[in-house]
Amino acid sequence: MAADPIKIGVDGPFTGGSSSMGVSMRDGVRLAAEEINKSGGVMGRQIQLVERDDEGKNERGVQIAQEFINKEKVVAVVGYINTGVALASQRFFQDAKIPVLNNVATGSIITHQFDKDPENYVFRNAAHDSIQAPMIVEEAVTRRGYKKVAILADSTNYGQLGREDLEKALKAKGITPVAVEKFNIKDVDMTAQLLKSKEAGAEAVLTYGIGPELAQIANGMTKLGWKVPIIGSWTLAMANFIDNAGPGGDGARMPQTFIQEPTTPKRKAFIDNFVKTFKPKNNRMDSPVSAAQGYDSIYLLAAAIKQAGNTEGPKIKAALEDLKTPVEGVVTTYTKPFSKDDHDAITANIPVFGEVKGGRVIFANAEDQKSAGTVRLKK
Amino acid sequence: MQILTQLIFSGIALGMIYAVIAFGYQLTFATSDTLNFGQGDALMLGALVGLTLVGLGVNYWLMIPIVCLFGAVQGAVVERIGVRPAIKIKSEFGWIMSTIALGIIFKNVAENVWGRDDLKFPSPLPESPLKFLNANVLPMEILVVGGALLMMLAVEFFNRKTIYGKAVVATFNDRDAAKLMGINTGLVITFSYALSSMTAAFAGVLIAPLTLTGATMGAVLGLKAFAVAIIGGLTSGMGIVVGGIILGIAETTTGFYLSTGYKDVPGLVLLLIVLAVRPAGLFGKTAIKKV
Repeated sequence: MAADPIKIGVDGPFTGGSSSMGVSMRDGVRLAAEEINKSGGVMGRQIQLVERDDEGKNERGVQIAQEFINKEKVVAVVGYINTGVALASQRFFQDAKIPVLNNVATGSIITHQFDKDPENYVFRNAAHDSIQAPMIVEEAVTRRGYKKVAILADSTNYGQLGREDLEKALKAKGITPVAVEKFNIKDVDMTAQLLKSKEAGAEAVLTYGIGPELAQIANGMTKLGWKVPIIGSWTLAMANFIDNAGPGGDGARMPQTFIQEPTTPKRKAFIDNFVKTFKPKNNRMDSPVSAAQGYDSIYLLAAAIKQAGNTEGPKIKAALEDLKTPVEGVVTTYTKPFSKDDHDAITANIPVFGEVKGGRVIFANAEDQKSAGTVRLKK
Repeated sequence: MQILTQLIFSGIALGMIYAVIAFGYQLTFATSDTLNFGQGDALMLGALVGLTLVGLGVNYWLMIPIVCLFGAVQGAVVERIGVRPAIKIKSEFGWIMSTIALGIIFKNVAENVWGRDDLKFPSPLPESPLKFLNANVLPMEILVVGGALLMMLAVEFFNRKTIYGKAVVATFNDRDAAKLMGINTGLVITFSYALSSMTAAFAGVLIAPLTLTGATMGAVLGLKAFAVAIIGGLTSGMGIVVGGIILGIAETTTGFYLSTGYKDVPGLVLLLIVLAVRPAGLFGKTAIKKV
């Protein structure tokens, strides 16, 4: 008799404005689960994915969390794209002692939501905002020498938490942004925000938002005939930014943990397999970062379950905090990625800068391109 | 000065986007005292059908009449299954729920057909801005303003000068009397719904190159347009244009001079003031309703 499958919940927005991240993440997760199952599964048991679409809505996320725990009885959860949804849903898994592996959401506080509890069941393998914001500032201020910068952030949890991180990072360099502007999801006119930044003499625009509205920023710049560099969070790599901004989006730079280039055999196999299985438009992954991190999250989890020899939440959590064997992923090779006090697998030295060029994201810096074959390890 | 000109130009373009959608609210209100709360979704369907046609290789200008025809059919369907039963049983509010419900259904259908991602609508005009009074204007924005005005003028002309239009006006003034005079008021109301969805579909393809196109594009725009219809007055085409421009300019100037975080506030405050002081809207006619 075949052993019961191991149920893993997959939660993300598969529809809506963030769906290019959600769907890519899901596809990465599917790919990893399929590979593991083909090679015999974990402890002789197959992985079964339970996928749910949270539509980027906090209340859907909460419903799904309860369904995962009470009805589906999943042993662990991977996913969460939207910081707000993650923060709203994690409480339930924390109480039920089920590990959550955030593979995309970047809000800095996600892994620290339960710092006060004795045990923390929330992990992450994504570059959080306290890594990204200083990187953005480093690129704009130190490397490219802009002293006057404007911040444009959306009015969601994601945008506003990111704005705080950006302001903090700027302050560390002794710089106050010349303009700090807000916009709402679905805004179609960015004239006021851009004019204010332009009038304040901004030499670069730092962004924290998601694809569609970021594209409106680029389009608004084209309209005003004002061309300054856009540097922002990793979401500038979203397909719906690149496609909707068109030539106006060229040159936008953002931190990336993964760029769709076959720089190592492992990455080449992943990209080839992904393109072959899901056939994305123009062979371009909609969100390579989400796909790669989604893919890695399943391998991390599988390694932890194998080490725990058991599917009980506390055991998996203990194994994650003390992974004995390194896990070779496509973002990095995870050697002791987590510890009791550190639930973030990605450190500041791992992401590199990507740049939008001709409808794709490429390495922004030549030296990163050259050294891309060497896997950057957690420090 | 240059900044103010730029803000006003952008505000006018934005306001006209709201106004073309709001115009559709006014059309059905004029004949049947009912509104199509799915107006934003009619706009979205028009834009997405237009996008598909353009994707199939149909020329932008040729695509417009096809989309208008589609919009007309869609509007007639909404009236037949959503509004007519409510009017027949003299339900005061049934049409509200049914038009909202149909709007949700259309949105869900669109999500299944076109997905929920925002798509780019290729612009038929050059995307580089023109200089005008020292401010930048996109050729597409001029097309939106011009197209919207032309459309409203065409409908106004129809209502005032043609015999069919007179039937519409008569139905608006007194539905029962018009019926006694031999006007097929049911048909007139269906027609007004078809016309209103047609204008929405037309508005959709007109504004789509400026906004992004997607199943959820109607929600925010439809709501803003509703505010415009209330501010301007639901009985006045002129009021719709003025209301739209007021809201558009209010948004861009507040965003610049006050704070971009409060961009949406003055428009809605204005809405409340208008409702408190002149409930029929700035240009609306107040009619005494006998009960």
